[in-house]
Amino acid sequence: MRKITLQLIVLFALVFNAGILGQSLPQSTGRNGIVATAHPLASAAAIEMLKSGGNAVDAAVAAAFTIGVVEPDGSGLGGGGGMVIYLKKEHKSYFINYYGRSSERASEASFKSGRDNYSGKAIEVPGTVAGLLMAHEKFGSLPLSKIMEPAVRHAEDGFPIDQTLAKLILDNIDNIMSDSVTASVFLENGFPRMEGELLLQSDLGKVLRTIAEKGRNGFYEGQLAESFVEGIRDRGGVLTEKDFSSYQAEITSPLNGTYRSYDILTSNIPQSGISLIQGLNMLENFDLQASGHYSESAKTLHIMAEVEKLVYADRYQFLGDPDFVSVPVAGLTSKDYALERYNSINQSKLDPPRYRDADYGNPGAFDKAFRKEPALVMEPAEGHTTHLSVIDKDGNAVALTQTLGLFFGSGQTVSGVLFNNAMTNFSYNVENVNYMQNGKRCRTSITPTIILKNGNPFLILGSPGASRITTTLIELVVNVIDFGMDVNEANLAPRFYCQKFEDYLHVESGINPEVCSELEKMGHQVKVYNGIDLFFGGAQMIFVDPITGEYSGSADKRRGGIAIGY
Amino acid sequence: MIVAILILFFTSLSVEAQKFKQPVLISSAGQSADVKLVKMLAQRQGLNATTILMAKSADLTGFKTLIIVPGFSSKGLGAAGISQQEEMERVKALIKSANDLKIPIVMIHIGGSARRQGQSDAFNQIVAENSKSMLVVKQGDEDGFFTTISKAKNIPLTLVVKIAETEIPLGNFFK
Repeated sequence: MRKITLQLIVLFALVFNAGILGQSLPQSTGRNGIVATAHPLASAAAIEMLKSGGNAVDAAVAAAFTIGVVEPDGSGLGGGGGMVIYLKKEHKSYFINYYGRSSERASEASFKSGRDNYSGKAIEVPGTVAGLLMAHEKFGSLPLSKIMEPAVRHAEDGFPIDQTLAKLILDNIDNIMSDSVTASVFLENGFPRMEGELLLQSDLGKVLRTIAEKGRNGFYEGQLAESFVEGIRDRGGVLTEKDFSSYQAEITSPLNGTYRSYDILTSNIPQSGISLIQGLNMLENFDLQASGHYSESAKTLHIMAEVEKLVYADRYQFLGDPDFVSVPVAGLTSKDYALERYNSINQSKLDPPRYRDADYGNPGAFDKAFRKEPALVMEPAEGHTTHLSVIDKDGNAVALTQTLGLFFGSGQTVSGVLFNNAMTNFSYNVENVNYMQNGKRCRTSITPTIILKNGNPFLILGSPGASRITTTLIELVVNVIDFGMDVNEANLAPRFYCQKFEDYLHVESGINPEVCSELEKMGHQVKVYNGIDLFFGGAQMIFVDPITGEYSGSADKRRGGIAIGY
Repeated sequence: MIVAILILFFTSLSVEAQKFKQPVLISSAGQSADVKLVKMLAQRQGLNATTILMAKSADLTGFKTLIIVPGFSSKGLGAAGISQQEEMERVKALIKSANDLKIPIVMIHIGGSARRQGQSDAFNQIVAENSKSMLVVKQGDEDGFFTTISKAKNIPLTLVVKIAETEIPLGNFFK
């Protein structure tokens, strides 16, 4: 009965609460602000901040703390992420990298991918709290207690489990059962909680209250940090109190690029905005409009798949923590290098016949600062995340992506916090740029992005989906810019995925079967997913009409999110 | 709890649950992790059961009952390295072999709404229609999907409210 009552309250609040959403069903358009997240309660939290006079950063931070509660499989206090911020009045943009960092003693853990994915050994120092608080401190306007109130409320009062979360609990039962504390949250009598049941996270609520009261130090120092270190050590990890106290989020400029007449602001290295820019640079050499949409044109899809494959080959070869390795940023983002890579594509057939045999290029020839060329090793293809996009009435915008690593991270919960397993993102081949070293940031696929047209926000987007993130974003961008789709059409359009360390070209069934047949004749092995599939990510997008200035948002139906405007 | 007891009472009135023999082979249709939970339930009931996620016809040798747990999972299929189509072909072949060998099939659907519609229903349907008995967590039958098959094919259907409540009816199948 309590479950049903709470569901009704939440539904009532979402639909009828004028203080949150206005007098009608949630809109996906607006002029005063819009937010797109993977959960209605996170979107509602952001809109609540905007309506209270907060700006896009206030709204994004509130949504980010809330999404960590109501979508606990994808992100949370124990994880990390990155955000791109655009401030309209100042015409300035920033990138905050708050991804985790390996312990100063990480090598002592002897982490082995696969064997240790769901243990304390897999945990990096979490960056979410530092990153969100840095954004709020530098750019926010509302009190922290106000911003964190929705997250605290949903943790302590509970919320109904939605179908996406119910499915993920079932799918990740091994991970959840690897830790009795985690199991006590998501299971009842040893079996998964189901859709509609109430999920209470009272211990997490206490941690959120501590952060709201004490700020960064409440999480990274003192009693709470001590309990984290002890609990992680009990689970095989090696994080130290110094790891926590010394952790700092980093603020820099975003990585800049252009696509046709648009400016791209995206996550800086070792996050993967660089791959988005490289892929779009390569596609600039191809007339997508003339060739037709990839769902109806085998040639377009073949070219895009080949571009994606080559981008991944370069990414695996060259992208690592710039504090540890030389990354040819100028080369990888060079238009000339992109043309060279594009020209290497055989336009009529798969060449070489296996994706795995694709070679990386030589961006160093286009980058005087680049120093060396290490060896190539793949990384895990799993990894699950969340993205949210926000814009306020003044045109300030935030694209934010955060993660726990795999779904439910390490599966290890200490003092209410479910910790990441970002150590799985490192390479364990000493020759690789992404080789695990103490105190290093791993390469990650996350790519929060803002695209400007004539200096104004045009598209705010990002997606979860591990190695599918880059391909999904490339497809979304061309759907809007080259094929003129609105954000909902672009988001719902069928997707595909291809990369170097794959044997199949993965496609959703919305791709014309004749296109798939043609692709197989060209040498691709096509794997079809019926309908739309969470495998291809869960993009949250906002579009700003350059003529009317109206905002429209789209939450990905693959993920169960919602865009709300007012 | 009262609701659960009532559901069990009425469903057991409407059809008499069939009895099955051990040893039991447990397999998946769609490669969801639900099969692992059914394995746990079977262990709790002390059943002589073996779980083979991708059981093939040859694996049926020596077993007297086949439990199939339907539910699509792209993660599971990815881990198994097979496509949805390949999985469906395997399931069809397994069902045909079980029928040919007169090994009764029991369907256990525990995933509720999370394992309904979308890609799951093709697996749900083929397993349900070929089963001798169905055990379903009620949330997965809110639209009457399994009830309709039960009535049309005269297959006994047992509905329970929670996953944990499938344990006793599962055990009763073999007593």
